[in-house]
Amino acid sequence: MSNHKALEMFGRSGNPSLNAETFSSSAPDASFAASAPAATMTLQGTVNRTGILLALVFVSASYTWSMFFSSGNPATVIPWAIGGAVVGLILALVTMFKKQWSGITAPLYAIAEGLFLGAISAIFEAQYPGIVIQAVGLTLGTLASLLFLYKTGLVKPTENFRLMVTSATMGIGLLYLVSMIMNMFGSGGIGFIHSNGLFGIGFSLFVVAIAALNLVLDFDFIEQGSEMGAPKYMEWFGAFSLMVTLIWLYLEMLRLLAKLRSR
Amino acid sequence: MDFNTLLFGGLSILSLAVFFYLSRFKASSRQTQREDRIDWSSRQFSLWKVFLCCLVAAIGVAFLAA
Repeated sequence: MSNHKALEMFGRSGNPSLNAETFSSSAPDASFAASAPAATMTLQGTVNRTGILLALVFVSASYTWSMFFSSGNPATVIPWAIGGAVVGLILALVTMFKKQWSGITAPLYAIAEGLFLGAISAIFEAQYPGIVIQAVGLTLGTLASLLFLYKTGLVKPTENFRLMVTSATMGIGLLYLVSMIMNMFGSGGIGFIHSNGLFGIGFSLFVVAIAALNLVLDFDFIEQGSEMGAPKYMEWFGAFSLMVTLIWLYLEMLRLLAKLRSR
Repeated sequence: MDFNTLLFGGLSILSLAVFFYLSRFKASSRQTQREDRIDWSSRQFSLWKVFLCCLVAAIGVAFLAA
């Protein structure tokens, strides 16, 4: 199938980071793809780039992690956490709108998010020793399990599946946004989101499940992208999408475990 | 090194190995050759419908909490 067909196929997606312009620019034409097959998206290429992004997150997270434990003062890493989160958000938006830049913006995003995750993880670890390795283990375990379920065809993403996951993701985003705005006005936000009661834990379990199901959409997007011969830079974009979901899943795991430990 | 670190560290390494190994292969034909695959070229449901669904979900959760 030609790359033009790939552009049509991937024109729209349920994933917020994968929209109508996903493959719309800088796409090589069919004759180019035929003469230079290496210039199209492959599974191996996407996996390699995912590995690079994971390594970058780990290295930059180690920096703020060790900074926290060498000083023992959360105030030393808070600016790094806020800076990493803000820069990460900006880079994520740039990557979503300029997918051709993914080769540069995705690694920078991974570094920025790593700084944020390292600081947040260290603060959680100081409060609940051993929680970070549990969250990492459970996140990566979920990733591997869902990939196995996807590859074997036991989990089959359909249009209804995409509607459900996208709606739930947007609903959660809306709740978080409302809670953040309420917090800014001093009302304390939506309490149950952060509570360690049964409802709060149930909500966290629901969010973890939805974040995990987003991984299936990412796998399907990457699989079809490589099948259809999408442009090479989409390997970076596919890895970036996976990384966004993984980071979200990790943070929700951390919150869930913290709620359970604080009871 | 305590048991917690060994258990979850081992799980992390094993999961990464499984992920990088499995990722290299194409999905099974049961996954790739089915009628109801997501058609990424079109939205079966409009953005409006998705927005309504998420709004209903968010309001529902908020009411439950209240």
